[in-house]
Amino acid sequence: MDAQRILLPYNFSQNDQKALAFVIRTFGPLENSELTIFHAFTPISEIEASDHQSATAKLKRRLSYLTQELTEREMALQEVRQYLISKGFHRDKVRYIFKSRKSEISAAIIEQTKEEDYDVIVLNHKPGKVTRFFTGTVFSKVVTALRDITVCIVS
Amino acid sequence: MHTEDRINIEIFKVVTRAIAESNNLEIMAKHLAQLLVGALEIKGSTIFATNVETKELEVLGSFGLSIRYMNKGPIYISRSIKSVEKHKAVVVKDVKDSNMLQYASDAIQEGIGAIVSVPIAFSGREIGVLRLYHHDTWDISERDLDSLFVLAEIIGLAMMYARMNVAISEVKNIVGDVHEAWLE
Repeated sequence: MDAQRILLPYNFSQNDQKALAFVIRTFGPLENSELTIFHAFTPISEIEASDHQSATAKLKRRLSYLTQELTEREMALQEVRQYLISKGFHRDKVRYIFKSRKSEISAAIIEQTKEEDYDVIVLNHKPGKVTRFFTGTVFSKVVTALRDITVCIVS
Repeated sequence: MHTEDRINIEIFKVVTRAIAESNNLEIMAKHLAQLLVGALEIKGSTIFATNVETKELEVLGSFGLSIRYMNKGPIYISRSIKSVEKHKAVVVKDVKDSNMLQYASDAIQEGIGAIVSVPIAFSGREIGVLRLYHHDTWDISERDLDSLFVLAEIIGLAMMYARMNVAISEVKNIVGDVHEAWLE
């Protein structure tokens, strides 16, 4: 039997913890599951500065020092991988992807899925969130854009 | 204490351009938070949307704060930093000396010294909050506070524009699903 390839988009929220628990419960005991934890981050804002001494040039220099947030996030993602290994996933079958994105998160998930051909995506959904009115619903965009794949929604 | 003006017209142009050029509110909020942290030389910044049903503030975009602090728990409008007067900013100059915070000990543990909270309004209603977190105690200048107010108004417009955009996309998708046979 072919290995089941699972994509777990992860954004360090409390709801992501629920999705993580679901993955451990459901796929942890299966020997032939390969799991990818996926975090797509927003890169540091691009600024054009013509004059080296200008306020925008100074701002640009300051922003380049602010990348520690990304380092912290990547380390946290490594910890999630270690946690999954401690819960029974095979070391060689759990990996993480930490990449930048310029579009919305749903587009990054769809692109990643098409690139690497996953069998299952595990998404989380918190009902009643107001931010959804402003940004749209990730799971509905993912579900409508993909074919021949199982999408699990953890609510 | 920092009382000098930090937001000049050049910085304001960069920040407003980040709003104008983005077609995605989540990315816009994140970039805006990054730019404010860089421009004001502060610890972090968060843009919240107000959920009138749950009476909570929900994060639209944030920068500079730890995962632990971001997951500290739900932020209730009635218990978090709240202005006595409607549509007024609140400046918590010293977190250690304030009873306005819902999660005061978490803020101290995070290394936050001061917080500025500016309401985001649209059409007279508060639809969100812009919050800025300083490492130290902070006496923000009146002019910077004025600039943040203008910025919050622009964010309010951008949020409502994004809301309309999402609604139109959803209508388009629903109409697109209607088969011609149903209309014959």
